[in-house]
Amino acid sequence: MIEIHLLMLLITVIIGLIFSYLAIIEKDSLKAIGFSAVHAIAYAIAFYILMAPDIVLAYVAVAVGIYSALLIFVVSKTERYEVV
Amino acid sequence: MNEVITFIWTVIILSLIATVIISLYGIARRPNLTKKLIALTIFTDTANLLVVLLGYRLIYPVAPPVLPSFSKEALQTFVKTAVDPLPQAFVITAVVIGMAVNVLIAFAIIQIYRLYGTVDARKLGEKQSTLLKEGGI
Amino acid sequence: MKRLVPLIILLITIFGLAYYITPKLPQQTELRPLGEFYLKNSYFGDYSAKSPEVVTSILWDYRGLDTLFETSVFFIAIIGSLTLFRLNKKQEEEAKQKAEEFRIGLTLIIKSVTRVIVVMILAVSASIALHGHLTPGGGFQGGSALAVAPLLIIAAYSKYALEEHGLDKTRALIFRSIGLLGIALVALVPLLSGGFLMQNQPIFPAKLGGQLVSGSLIYYNFFEFLAVGAGFTAVFLLLAIPEKVFKKFLRREANE
Repeated sequence: MIEIHLLMLLITVIIGLIFSYLAIIEKDSLKAIGFSAVHAIAYAIAFYILMAPDIVLAYVAVAVGIYSALLIFVVSKTERYEVV
Repeated sequence: MNEVITFIWTVIILSLIATVIISLYGIARRPNLTKKLIALTIFTDTANLLVVLLGYRLIYPVAPPVLPSFSKEALQTFVKTAVDPLPQAFVITAVVIGMAVNVLIAFAIIQIYRLYGTVDARKLGEKQSTLLKEGGI
Repeated sequence: MKRLVPLIILLITIFGLAYYITPKLPQQTELRPLGEFYLKNSYFGDYSAKSPEVVTSILWDYRGLDTLFETSVFFIAIIGSLTLFRLNKKQEEEAKQKAEEFRIGLTLIIKSVTRVIVVMILAVSASIALHGHLTPGGGFQGGSALAVAPLLIIAAYSKYALEEHGLDKTRALIFRSIGLLGIALVALVPLLSGGFLMQNQPIFPAKLGGQLVSGSLIYYNFFEFLAVGAGFTAVFLLLAIPEKVFKKFLRREANE
């Protein structure tokens, strides 16, 4: 039965890997914020599977809500597109 | 069966390490300061997940570290199934305090944009050297 | 499609490496002795914190000094951000004047849904914080959930709606100071009766009026809830000032 838990954990971690890669190579900062929010949601599910309900409560509010809002404020006050 | 469990566990740990490497690339090589901040948070989150992974137990059933009922019998099964609570206690403070430190970095980025008119790390270096030559600072 | 090539190479490398590492990795099925000590002692044991929630009892009792200094890091980080955006008295008054483009706001649907959800968020965050010694949750979690409520109001209405209802930056800072002072005072109380710093049992009563409050844990949770929620609210009130207003201040100072 533990295999099912571990498989779900593996899927969330690989989703996190893919979306963190997309967030870092993206040139549009707003899209990158969206990708990093998806990464945060995947990791919140991973924390839940790892039996850490305390961290889920803090992490969902901080990483998905407050953090995205803070970055959107930063992008709105500075530049949106990255020149490589 | 045991080998399957260990194989999945190894893949999980290796993909987390790969995420750490990707985010380090982002911190070091991306020129935009906002993008560096995004990479920094991805790095923090992955490090936190690795710490929580240290306290997990590969058994079934596995339970969160919250005592289900106030009796000595419940305590026996609880100690047999619960995960390690110590890494979780560290990660909770790290998530919230890390957020406060990231707020400070974000404010610094906005202030840099007001003063220099750019958030590109390479242009910032050029502007600072020209300002130093002219004696503007 | 071309940019996905490094990702696929990375995934193949991970699976290949895992195949070689797997036989050498030990299986992690046992608890460490320290973790076992905390699990056994948090409610029953001789070194009890009288709380069934082991994580909260580690946070505020067994490793309380650790959390106390983490809270001081939080205090200094928020103070640093407020200093970077410093305004004088006159400019602060001017920043509260509502700009023209904020007169209308978003549609009625969004506004009324936000009004309902904000009340729900406040109730849930208070419940998370005040039941932190019984169920998963605590001061940090409740505080970060509380900070989402003013953020939603800023997004749906504007920052001026918050200020018109009396929650400006000064008030938020006062709430934050009350929280931090409360934490410091609760940490110092055991010294009066001959205990050590941040001692929990047996100085604080474990039960209050028949309810399990776990000694000092509920006070710490409540004050940390205030400190974290109000600190983030103060930061977002500053961030929500439009950049145009700041540009105006900077230009005026340059002319003088």
